[in-house]
Amino acid sequence: MGQDNSRRDFLRKGLATTAFAMLATSQADAMSLQIPGRDEKNPKYIGQKGKHFVMVLDLRKCIGCQACTSVCKIENEVPEDQFRTFVTETELGEFPDVRKGFLPQLCNHCESPACVPVCPTGATFKREDGIVVVDNTVCWGCGYCISACPYDKRYFNKRTKTADKCNFCAQRVDKGLLPACVETCIGGARVFGDINDKNSDVYKLVSNFSTNVLKEAQGTRPQVFYINLDSRLEELSSSTQSLDDIVKAEEGFQREWMKARGGKDNG
Amino acid sequence: MQSSRRKFLIGSGAVVAAASVAGYKETLGAVATLSNKGELAKDSIYFNSPNAEYSYLNDEFVPNDEFKISATTCIGCTTQCGVRVKIDKKTDKVVRVLGNPYNLLSTDPWLPYNISIKDSYKLLSQSGKFETYRSNVCARGNVIFDKIEAKNRVLKPLKRVGKRGENKWKEMDIDELISEIVNGGDLFGEGNVKGLKDIRDTKTPINPDEPIFGPKSNGLCLIGTTHEGRFKTVIHRFLKSFGTSNFMGHTSICGLSMRAGEAAYLGNFKKYPHLKPDFENTEYLLSIGTPPGQAGNPFKRQGKLLARARTEKNIDYTIVSPMQGNSDTIAVGGRSHWIPIIPGTDLAFVMGVLQIIINNNLYNDKYLRIPSEKGRAALKDASWTNSSHLVIQDKKGFGKILRDGKVPLVLDASDNALKSSNAVTQAVLDFKGDVEFNGQTYSVRTAFNELKENVNELSLEEYSKECGVSVEKMQEVAKDFTSHGRKASVDCHGGTMHTTGFYTTYAVMMLGAMVGNLNYKGGMSPGGGAYKDYVGKKYNLFGYKGKSKVHATRIDKTRMAYEKTNEYKKKVAAGKNPYPAKDTWYPFTNALESEVIMNSAKGYPYKLDCLLAFNTNFMYGTAGGENHIKELISDPKKSIPLFIAVDPFISETTKYADYIIPDSVLHETWGAVHAWAGYQTKINTLRFPVTKPRQDSFKNGDSIEMISFMIALGKKMKLPGFGKKALKGQDGTWYPLEKAEDIYLRVFENIALDGKPVPDASDEDIELSGIESYVPSLKSICGNNWRKTAYVMARGGRYQDIEHSYNGDFISHRYKKPVQVYNETVGMKRNSITGERYSGTIKFYKQRMVNGDTFEKLFSKDKFPLTAFSFKSNVLATPDTSSAKLKEIKYTTYVDLNPKTAEKFGLAHGDYVKVTSGDGETKGFLRLRHGVHPQTIGVEQGAGRRGEGAVDVEINGKLVKGDIAKRSGVFYNKIGLLDPSRPTALTTDFVCGSNVRQAIPVNIEKIKYTKEV
Repeated sequence: MGQDNSRRDFLRKGLATTAFAMLATSQADAMSLQIPGRDEKNPKYIGQKGKHFVMVLDLRKCIGCQACTSVCKIENEVPEDQFRTFVTETELGEFPDVRKGFLPQLCNHCESPACVPVCPTGATFKREDGIVVVDNTVCWGCGYCISACPYDKRYFNKRTKTADKCNFCAQRVDKGLLPACVETCIGGARVFGDINDKNSDVYKLVSNFSTNVLKEAQGTRPQVFYINLDSRLEELSSSTQSLDDIVKAEEGFQREWMKARGGKDNG
Repeated sequence: MQSSRRKFLIGSGAVVAAASVAGYKETLGAVATLSNKGELAKDSIYFNSPNAEYSYLNDEFVPNDEFKISATTCIGCTTQCGVRVKIDKKTDKVVRVLGNPYNLLSTDPWLPYNISIKDSYKLLSQSGKFETYRSNVCARGNVIFDKIEAKNRVLKPLKRVGKRGENKWKEMDIDELISEIVNGGDLFGEGNVKGLKDIRDTKTPINPDEPIFGPKSNGLCLIGTTHEGRFKTVIHRFLKSFGTSNFMGHTSICGLSMRAGEAAYLGNFKKYPHLKPDFENTEYLLSIGTPPGQAGNPFKRQGKLLARARTEKNIDYTIVSPMQGNSDTIAVGGRSHWIPIIPGTDLAFVMGVLQIIINNNLYNDKYLRIPSEKGRAALKDASWTNSSHLVIQDKKGFGKILRDGKVPLVLDASDNALKSSNAVTQAVLDFKGDVEFNGQTYSVRTAFNELKENVNELSLEEYSKECGVSVEKMQEVAKDFTSHGRKASVDCHGGTMHTTGFYTTYAVMMLGAMVGNLNYKGGMSPGGGAYKDYVGKKYNLFGYKGKSKVHATRIDKTRMAYEKTNEYKKKVAAGKNPYPAKDTWYPFTNALESEVIMNSAKGYPYKLDCLLAFNTNFMYGTAGGENHIKELISDPKKSIPLFIAVDPFISETTKYADYIIPDSVLHETWGAVHAWAGYQTKINTLRFPVTKPRQDSFKNGDSIEMISFMIALGKKMKLPGFGKKALKGQDGTWYPLEKAEDIYLRVFENIALDGKPVPDASDEDIELSGIESYVPSLKSICGNNWRKTAYVMARGGRYQDIEHSYNGDFISHRYKKPVQVYNETVGMKRNSITGERYSGTIKFYKQRMVNGDTFEKLFSKDKFPLTAFSFKSNVLATPDTSSAKLKEIKYTTYVDLNPKTAEKFGLAHGDYVKVTSGDGETKGFLRLRHGVHPQTIGVEQGAGRRGEGAVDVEINGKLVKGDIAKRSGVFYNKIGLLDPSRPTALTTDFVCGSNVRQAIPVNIEKIKYTKEV
């Protein structure tokens, strides 16, 4: 199968593929740098004033159950075979000295997002409360942001044909609720809140524990913080392939899926 | 595009970046030429996400009128967590599932019961106490509601039109269907089929030679699933009314060896209680083959409590298992340990650890010397054992405990005198010799003495050789386990589904007796129990006039000793050796659904006339079923002349049915359930349709499902307990049973009234929990109590508050019977094949067939160098295959192998392989992982399906295609073994009869991939 078995560490993603396949669209209004919603100070474009939302992932509490992966697809109607968040399940070391490593991943809502400056239309931007969003009425699907993201956390939405990614469930957060992945996290590893609030759980966790972000060297200043992150997990997160994809290809699953979608190859 | 994708898929990691660049360039090129617009999202920023169900901003709570949110029970797996379902009012479709914050299976700590529904939402918001009361749903529960709309769902009653198993059906009217199954006749053009009215002969013996077997009405057998909230109703209301003793769930293919072993330890084969660690407070957890967080029951609760204990508390845990499960994570450093072990050798490991504990006096001597409840109370302990009780060794009375009347006798440690155990607080623990009682000399030994002798049967080195775990490791575990006082706990579950699982479980639990962990905070608990439901303050819903009191021999030969049969008695009378019996008997097992089809085919104890399958899938779930039961079930003449299934899907099992009656799915169903174990307070979780069932209805408007079908059938047959005066009030009033709600709203009412009745639900509670549509029924059925019943429904059940969990260092809901270091029931019974006595306490056995032939002898290492096991999936579950969405979360399963073993066998990651046992084979793709023992093959259970949408089905001449995704993966149970020492039978736990899926000797080889259909 052409697999590289020489790696000491085995990663069994079994889930989201980091692959993305892109087909661009040209939407009529896509060339404008004006974002009507933002210009009109619509709250969902501006965010919650004075707040700065972050997520802390306490890896000691992650049991790799994929409840977050699952609920995100439902809450955000993420298209088939695409994911806004997922948890990689990794083995570190060799038998019998082997350990499990789980790495929940999502958009890092970076302070200096690599995706924003490359957007030719201004469709992707950071709200005042720190949430990086995509305006899908403005996005024309060029894919620059998808390539620019060092974390591979953007994808080309098969249905809307625009860039898409985690937006911390802004539709819930803007109503005073929590992101779905946080709500459903069984171990309580995902903690969300306003880091400007000194009474918030996220502030306390970040203050009391030493935390890491992914690919710090990129200078993007992620706002998703990890407690007890083993650096080997980070290396693996973007350098693997999914055995599932090989099986799907062998079994003809992709073709069946395309047929069900009316024979169109959307990705 | 296609080529770059292909390159990415088979390339190594480095190719990922290259593929990205290629994709990027192509996009640039494509922009100018493509004008293909996508679908417009619902919202510019929120994309297609549904609106939030409410908002809570600036202290203002505003519900969203688009949705209703109702509390119910998820039945996506056997944990049965309380959830809240968000439903679009316009379409009546489920939009999302949320945890129910009142329910301890989804939340910990859970909300105080008296919190209003409105406040429950406020508390779960950003400005509430979200981090305290976070309530969740697992990967399954979050997505499987698409089953409700599944294209392959059975919505109308079906009758087969081809031969059995051909999967060709025609839809039919439910009343006609009921007429056919009641009256029988030449239903399929294959000759006469006996109908239910003729089967129901409650007078004529089913076997004239064995009157003890009961009447012919036992020709009806029901195989159900887990206790999913309707099973008890069907047993008590329908089957007992019909007059059959044949009803069984799914335990013998699930975790029966664990249940039976724990029932032995706890001395209760009637209720089959079992224990779970107090995960939150335990300081040392030794789990044999069941990593919390990977699976187990309660799945979420265990995972949650473990995550908290290892992060915020003081737990150290060791998982002894062929596979490293998800309870491990590098993020917790040295708190988590894995001891890899060969499947089926866990008994050797535990015996070794026990030997170290006993021979080095590491056990809690004072605890084990407590001989009675009085002694326990005097010493203020939380539990006690029978370790000092005296077991008679004389030929006469061998195995019995020496008693004065009902009270066991013990030797008082202070003066070595024989006394009533009630008069002693500390007894002699280790004794073998003669005692005199009432002028008679008895040769006796203490239970502890027998235990000690048995654990010393093999040397430590021999135990170590059996299980592959070093003596040093066992010593380390023994020391750690006994270094935490009562706050050390043990667990085991499905890993014990091998031939010696009963004694393995008993031994694992025995570790607990060594430290006295039962009923202690941080130790073991039997669960917090439940409020009274079916039989409660207002109604006795199991009681009705004419309920049969049939005590018959069950088709699975459980609950009865062979020695009671005429077969035995005749042989003895003729001076013959009564052993072997024609086949096995199981005197202290509750039910064995995995034996039913073969027993009926063998006509031993008798032949069945009709099988009623209720949401069961024994063909997929039974190891060996596919290869060895298929032939018997597909020919109506061989085993089951009439096969009726109640199931929302056509499964590997129901495809052999003659008729399929549709059933409700998930959030459409009725039910009332308890929790398993692993909790300390009372809990009842309820289910009622929160979305209208999609299938056809009866003429009275009730949707066709198990309960309404039972009612219709009961009324058609004029069985007692149906129709007008059917449901019994405790005050002697009778109520009608016409619809499912007639029973279930009354069950809920009983729950509401138990003990101190719950408060009345407010109008706001009712509105915010979306149960307004039930108000008319509630008023007419529950009368004055309707608001109390509504209070329970609004919260999806009734839950005792968390502060009732503990009483000082004790668990509040204590298990009151003594721990059985020696189980007299077991010690007095014999194996009906060999005539050997079962050991009354734990004893080492190698993997064996019922007659004692060892696997070692039957399966040479040359031919079968590896040992196979299956493990529970944290995502997939057998009844959830019909969810297409779940397959997006986990597409497939693999044959898991250690890379070192793969190298030896010349196999590579991604190879297509065949795994062969002595009696079957299965195929799949190979996944290499360091987290499996090198001498094993592991398979995640739940994929490789051939039912529930995986295969083509023809209904009314129209083809419904099966999906590749549902077929994908490894069908593990195809490698199940036969027991050559029995007439046509699958391999079983030689004591309690569980179906053996673990520790199967196998070989593996690479083969060319061919598509399987």
